[in-house]
Amino acid sequence: MIKLLNISKIYNGDVKALKDINLEFGEGEFIVLKGVSGSGKSTILSLIAGLLKPTTGEVIVDNKRISKLPDHFCSEFRRDNIGFIFQRYNLIPTLSVRDNILLPLLPKNLDRDTLEKKLQHVLSAFNIKHKEQSLVKNLSGGEQQRVAIARANINTPKIILADEPTANLDEKLSLDFIEIVRGLKSSNKTIILATHDPLFFDLDFVDRIIEVKDGQCY
Amino acid sequence: MLLTPEILTLDILNILFLLFATVAFYFSMRILFLYNADATTPLQYRLEKQSYLVATIIKFIFAIKIPLFIFFIFTLDKISTVLPGAMCGAGVVNATEYGTPLLILKILNLYLFGYWIVLNGEDMKSQERKYLRLKFFVFVVAYFLLLIEIVSQIVMFSSIDVKSVVDCCGAIFSTTNGSYIAEILGAKPLYLLTTFYGVFSVMFIAYFTNNRYLYSLLNLLYLIIALVTLIAFFGTYIYELPTHHCPFCLLQRDYGYVGYFLYITLFIGTFYGLIVGLVEFNKKECKRKLGISMVFDTLYLIIVSYYLLAYYVKNGVFL
Repeated sequence: MIKLLNISKIYNGDVKALKDINLEFGEGEFIVLKGVSGSGKSTILSLIAGLLKPTTGEVIVDNKRISKLPDHFCSEFRRDNIGFIFQRYNLIPTLSVRDNILLPLLPKNLDRDTLEKKLQHVLSAFNIKHKEQSLVKNLSGGEQQRVAIARANINTPKIILADEPTANLDEKLSLDFIEIVRGLKSSNKTIILATHDPLFFDLDFVDRIIEVKDGQCY
Repeated sequence: MLLTPEILTLDILNILFLLFATVAFYFSMRILFLYNADATTPLQYRLEKQSYLVATIIKFIFAIKIPLFIFFIFTLDKISTVLPGAMCGAGVVNATEYGTPLLILKILNLYLFGYWIVLNGEDMKSQERKYLRLKFFVFVVAYFLLLIEIVSQIVMFSSIDVKSVVDCCGAIFSTTNGSYIAEILGAKPLYLLTTFYGVFSVMFIAYFTNNRYLYSLLNLLYLIIALVTLIAFFGTYIYELPTHHCPFCLLQRDYGYVGYFLYITLFIGTFYGLIVGLVEFNKKECKRKLGISMVFDTLYLIIVSYYLLAYYVKNGVFL
């Protein structure tokens, strides 16, 4: 489903973030990318999401050469197929939970009923219905993360990418997040999670753990 | 050497355009020779990024050059007041040997720049960038024409001598001066009108039968015949003067600036008409462009016919 072929990524001409890596992820797999900060985990996620172009090699998702797509097609592809959970959530603090979650659907021009149906579904699924009208800036870290997850799922993407999702959470909230991931995995979504949090390394539902070190995968 | 604020504005803008266009030309050549859509090398990824940036630069140059043509015409008209003998832009165009070729080149470029913008728009809509090579090739050709246009314009304005007496439009567009213009102006109105309304009628049929190639070809004919009939025939009804055939006086205040409206309408209509035969649009887009063309072509016909009929209604005779 997802292939990274001979990928290298060099930033600013001399920072080698990835060195000729080859990876393949199947449908419904839950993969943990493990490694210290700066090892290249986030770069891999950004390449899969089409947020970055590789320096060499190519990224193929669902037989589509997304690294060769022009930027505006990449955005469309990402919007329809990928849910991205960022380390700092990347929510808009001055908007309500409702507006933040609905944001990815705006360009689709869906009718009001469909929007509402999709919204209510994710609000319930991620247990934030009671905060629907609250401003994001007034929420706790755990709640903000649930909003970010709901936003990532509003388009019912096949692929979920999460970059250090528990870096700003305490252990209890991290365990709550793991349960959410278990739920997503059971709905056959492909999940690729980049983390250095040891909580993820011994989970019973992880399909593979890939160690990323100095821009190479082991 | 003539330097007015308008000429300075045109020169400064054109020099800036030429600078940016030269940069775009260098990268366009690289893209033309080195681009390989299947490659996944650093060079190819760089070229893909550059193609987007260069296309944006070209788009802005051309998008500004098109309305700048109107400003150029306005400038010709404005500086005619300082040239002895000139009554309108025609005197300025005729003041140097560069004027007429420059004007023709500018009109040609207008269509070429518009074509490039449409091509670029279609290219950006396709994931495979199906017009990428063609659009950069067209730009390479357009670059040389742009270069000639800008240099000619600077040379033309520089070589205007404000102390020399120039011909007025009455002398240039006279039916008796023995020039090729005189021959065109001397053509029988019946032939001209039959051709003009005939071409439009066939174009109308081609529009309703969705024959885009025929429609496109007819638009080229319509453009030529519309300009000829405007100068030779319809213009006289706008001026209400049988001997006045100037295509520039229409742009003046005395005639309500109707020339701007006529030329803009004609150029938009024929541009969209031509473009449907040159670019493969999807069905919906093709229909939309055909529609725009038909509306503007018809509008042009209505306006020029209005002057003819209004004169007849008012005076009971034709000129």
